[in-house]
Amino acid sequence: MNKRFFVQITLGLGLAMTVPSLAQAQDALARVKAAGTLKVGTETAFAPFDFIDATGQHAGFNVDAFAEVGKELGVKIQWVELPWEGVLPGLEAGQFNMVAGPATITKARVERYRFLSPVAEATVAILRRAKDDTIKTPQDIAGKTVGAGKATAQLAQLKTFSATLPKPVEPREYPGFNEAYADLAAGRIVAVANSLPNIAFVASKQPNVFAVVQPPFGQKSYFGYIGTKKPDDQPLLDAVQAALVKIKADGRMKKLQEKWFGTSFETPDVAPEPSF
Amino acid sequence: MSFDGSVILAALPAILSGLTVTLGIWVAATVLGIALGFVVAALRHFGPRPLGLSLRLVVEVLRGTPFLIQIFLLYFGGPFVGISLDPVPAGLLGLSVYAAAYFSEIFRAGFAAVPRGHVEAAQCVGLSQAQIVRRILIPEMTMLVLPQCVNMAVILVKETAVLSIIAVPEATAVISALGSQQYAFVESLFLLAIIYWGLVEACGRAGSALETRLSKFRFA
Amino acid sequence: MTAQLFELMLKAAGYTVVISAASIAIGLVIGILVCAAKLSPRPWLRWPASLFVSFFRGVPLLVQLLLIYNLLPAIGLTVPSIVAALIGLSLCTAAYQAENLRGGFQSVPRGLLEAADMAGLSPWQQFSRIRAPIALRLTVPALVNEAILILKASSLISVVGVIELTRTAQNLAASTYEPLLFYSVAGGLYLAINWLVAAGGSLTERALRRGRLA
Repeated sequence: MNKRFFVQITLGLGLAMTVPSLAQAQDALARVKAAGTLKVGTETAFAPFDFIDATGQHAGFNVDAFAEVGKELGVKIQWVELPWEGVLPGLEAGQFNMVAGPATITKARVERYRFLSPVAEATVAILRRAKDDTIKTPQDIAGKTVGAGKATAQLAQLKTFSATLPKPVEPREYPGFNEAYADLAAGRIVAVANSLPNIAFVASKQPNVFAVVQPPFGQKSYFGYIGTKKPDDQPLLDAVQAALVKIKADGRMKKLQEKWFGTSFETPDVAPEPSF
Repeated sequence: MSFDGSVILAALPAILSGLTVTLGIWVAATVLGIALGFVVAALRHFGPRPLGLSLRLVVEVLRGTPFLIQIFLLYFGGPFVGISLDPVPAGLLGLSVYAAAYFSEIFRAGFAAVPRGHVEAAQCVGLSQAQIVRRILIPEMTMLVLPQCVNMAVILVKETAVLSIIAVPEATAVISALGSQQYAFVESLFLLAIIYWGLVEACGRAGSALETRLSKFRFA
Repeated sequence: MTAQLFELMLKAAGYTVVISAASIAIGLVIGILVCAAKLSPRPWLRWPASLFVSFFRGVPLLVQLLLIYNLLPAIGLTVPSIVAALIGLSLCTAAYQAENLRGGFQSVPRGLLEAADMAGLSPWQQFSRIRAPIALRLTVPALVNEAILILKASSLISVVGVIELTRTAQNLAASTYEPLLFYSVAGGLYLAINWLVAAGGSLTERALRRGRLA
């Protein structure tokens, strides 16, 4: 009897989920402007994009970048802070208007989400222990255990790179990159594969513990902010896109990149076709 | 969001391997936790007072902090004090010790519930302490502690999900990764709900069946 | 760790305590109703209550929270983070508390009730003078246990966007790359809170045993 009841609930929810939400009189842009707040979902354990700084404040590249976007749109930014695995489901459930993150622009994601103008390069590189000089080039990880976040684009890049090496690496998957860094410090893995802006920041914060192995090994890729493909959301995303392009054109983006990454990137205005 | 069962079917081998890891760690940690918990309870009951007090402190710390934090410190902090374990052994050790703290409290209450007269009578007829434990305490308290042990086993199966934080490829890690990779968020949630609900129900029913079978040994 | 960050951890601990306490209280009310339904002679009350207990004890809290936060919007109910967290924690603890209470009520000696019957106490009097006080006294230790379990389980509500103690430790670990320090401090704070709860529980038990209520 319990089972039958559960099946009915499942079917009921399933049906409810396939019914499109009732058409609303206004689109997302109009609603955001009327409310005066843009709700943005993000993961705060993702320095230097989003993190809690030494004073306990939410800070980072995203906070500054969205502050500029907010100025352009004339709205305040309301942050919704979730662990990364909850961010995209939350976006699809409509808990916030868009996602900061940012996420690496990949083929699979472009199919499901709308990416806005790229904000940084996401090319993957290797982080090693500062005192471990056995890893001088990315190829030196062959046959060793390397960590990455589970279900991430960076893990996929690591696996692709591994296939080109004489001996494949043994990838170890963590719930997030921070656990992978902790395990690198603890000595169980020899390297962590992650996007250059992130690991450069890690190494700059703990230079005695970590070091970046140059050059990056992955295919060139970009980080972008994310929205849904729902028609209702498009006017809002168009407006954010226009704001981002404007911020890039007048040099504000470059300043932010230098502030948070120590370098600036040439990023195209429109997300390019991803290579993987 | 809509429901697409084919995602689950396509990933069945990975899901089954995750389930195997979950089941293996769960059963092993429960058995080890019961054994270790019994030893701790016995030492606290019969051992010297300083030993009892220090064990009590350890038990209170283990029960007073979230398992997530314990396993994090054991796995990531261990290498700095010379304990470098791989994810599965670390997970098994951590969960067994956590379980032992709870089981030891259950057994301690069980010992206390055995009427003193029974123990005194056994002492009078000249049974050794080991004999008293084996012949009097264990049989008399089994019925009393069984429901709580089943309850604890149920809590443990859900705690195994925490092990994904130290990269143990158990069911929650595998299924939630499947969810993010295939964007099958709804499917993975329902699958997780059904799997754990099933395990918990099965464990509860097995516990009740065992209780019925053992009820003929009820003393107190 | 700076004093500022420690203060942040303390605030987060306060948040953990407030949310857990609210959930325990709401869960107790729901738990009493569910327990009453489960002890009811009417099957149409009994089996939904059994299903409720089975579901909320069987499905991991993490999954419950995600179902509430991400699936309720699909049926038109968008719940903010804090509400989703409260609903999830309250329903979960309600299931456990209902079972604890049921255990308490079933342990009230039958003889006492028969004696009360003979003495001419009405069913309500039997409930308020005999069954409830005794069951309450029997379930206080279980309630304290449950409070500690919920304080610890509340670390999961970060999946729906509530920044509590564990999440704060994770955030600070991620920005300082000193995870061991922040996890240890979080562990210490949980321990302190739980010891206070346990001490409060012992005091209550002693007061109840002294017999004002029973």
